[in-house]
Amino acid sequence: MHTLLVYVREARAQIVSTWHTPQFLIPSVALPLLFYGVMGLGLSKGREEIAHMMLANYVIFAAIAPAMFGFGAAVAAEREAKLIELKQIAPLPAGGYLAGRLAAALALVASAIGLLGVLAYFGGVVMVPWRWAATLGLGLASAVPFALIGLNIGLRLGSQGATAVANLLFLGFCLFGGLWMPLSLMPGWVAKIAEVTPSYHLGQLSMMLSGMAPMADVQRHVSVLAAISLAAMIGAWAGWRRQTA
Amino acid sequence: MSAEFSQPPVAALRQAVKRRGATLALNGLDLVIRPGQCVALLGPNGAGKSTSVALLTGRLRPDEGEARLFDGDPRDVAARGRMGVMLQEAGLPRTLTVREQVDLFRGYYRKPRPLDEIVRLAGLEGLERRRCGALSGGQQRRVQFALAIAGRPDFLVLDEPTTGMDIDARRGLWTAVRAEIARGAAVLLTTHHLDEAEALADRIVVIDHGQVIADGSPEAIKSRVSAVAVRCRTRLSDAELAGLARVTGVSREGGRITLLTTSAPATLRELLARDETVDDLTVAGASLEDAVTRLVQASAPAPKNAQSQVEVA
Repeated sequence: MHTLLVYVREARAQIVSTWHTPQFLIPSVALPLLFYGVMGLGLSKGREEIAHMMLANYVIFAAIAPAMFGFGAAVAAEREAKLIELKQIAPLPAGGYLAGRLAAALALVASAIGLLGVLAYFGGVVMVPWRWAATLGLGLASAVPFALIGLNIGLRLGSQGATAVANLLFLGFCLFGGLWMPLSLMPGWVAKIAEVTPSYHLGQLSMMLSGMAPMADVQRHVSVLAAISLAAMIGAWAGWRRQTA
Repeated sequence: MSAEFSQPPVAALRQAVKRRGATLALNGLDLVIRPGQCVALLGPNGAGKSTSVALLTGRLRPDEGEARLFDGDPRDVAARGRMGVMLQEAGLPRTLTVREQVDLFRGYYRKPRPLDEIVRLAGLEGLERRRCGALSGGQQRRVQFALAIAGRPDFLVLDEPTTGMDIDARRGLWTAVRAEIARGAAVLLTTHHLDEAEALADRIVVIDHGQVIADGSPEAIKSRVSAVAVRCRTRLSDAELAGLARVTGVSREGGRITLLTTSAPATLRELLARDETVDDLTVAGASLEDAVTRLVQASAPAPKNAQSQVEVA
């Protein structure tokens, strides 16, 4: 019971800390909303299927930045400030700190995706309830692999390096994963890169769940995502252990 | 005293060896801290102080030997639940308020202190609603102290606690640490300020090259360097002064001379008999800083090192 409460308090403190940082909070929530409002709804007026397709991709897009920056680059900054050292010494259950950070990242992703859903709904996107739930739910779940990748960066690089690399990966994932522009409009070699990005596979699944693409190759997409997540998890665990060698 | 020794130690390093890169940070270090003791760990930079703290707090694991905390592994959360730690250079989350951060750490402990009590003991009244990032260096150190005492710990580890504090803040912290000792908490203190060790500790452990080179009460450590300093104005020459009974050293600064002697009464009797104009006379025991510096120099392996200025603690 005590342990559970510690996790809850840690998560709450991280969420409060994020809430106190509007310079991080606003862009990570507002950017996907703004992009979607202008390009998904504004420019595709009268062609609801485009707005629909873009929503499927944007729920993934909205998850990447809060997960990678809030969870990854921020860990690098706190490591540099020797904040993590104190947490490792404090009677905090192992992983309590990371669980707290993950909860805060998920809360931020949830609010970004929730607002995106509201915008899409009033913008004319029509889906049956389970498809709404599945699409937005997948967006939320997609925060986990991105958070793990971010954590790998945060545990290995200094805060400036971590921010730079996270930015690069963020842009790469969006572009080569086909979240901003369909892959069919891009040269063939891009599709090859897409295969190794989690964003591409998540985007494909999201299209299927939102009813914009027929269910196909689900097993392959899920397997690749599971492999990436597992590798990132092992990498993060090794990075965390290395600090207390 | 005997009851104290029958109790299990609060924390212990036994034959601890720890390599950090190519250097041997700890080379078979033995350190046992008993309940109620305030131990000051002193030694030059790189002597192994930080590594000792890291081993006792469970952040690092010894390569050989063992580290124990309350008869358990320092890596166990249960053992760490009875310990409060103030780390050197540890950061605070810039975006949380003092109250939020202290409250978070209170939550880690099963029987935390009331928030108001922590705030009062750490001298943080009026700062509760400030963001940690907006505090001065000295104020941040006080928050770190508040985090360390949040769980009413039986073992308080203070790593350079007063760095960046002004004199009033230092005195305030000393008072708070004394209150913790009076409550029965054991304290491990590392510091660069020898006056701080003298003000708080009842036991001094001097380490160098990863080993203990001296261990005892501050008085015992000072008596290891059996010298007393006599300072005065006199018309006697250096040669005459050096010839006085028991004098081991003579130095001049401005108009005043300093005699180091192994027996102040013997030296003074002769000095006053030879020169009735002696003025401005003071006699002082060797300072702790003097004693520790000499102990470290004496233990240095190469004479070349002993010549160079050794930074104490």
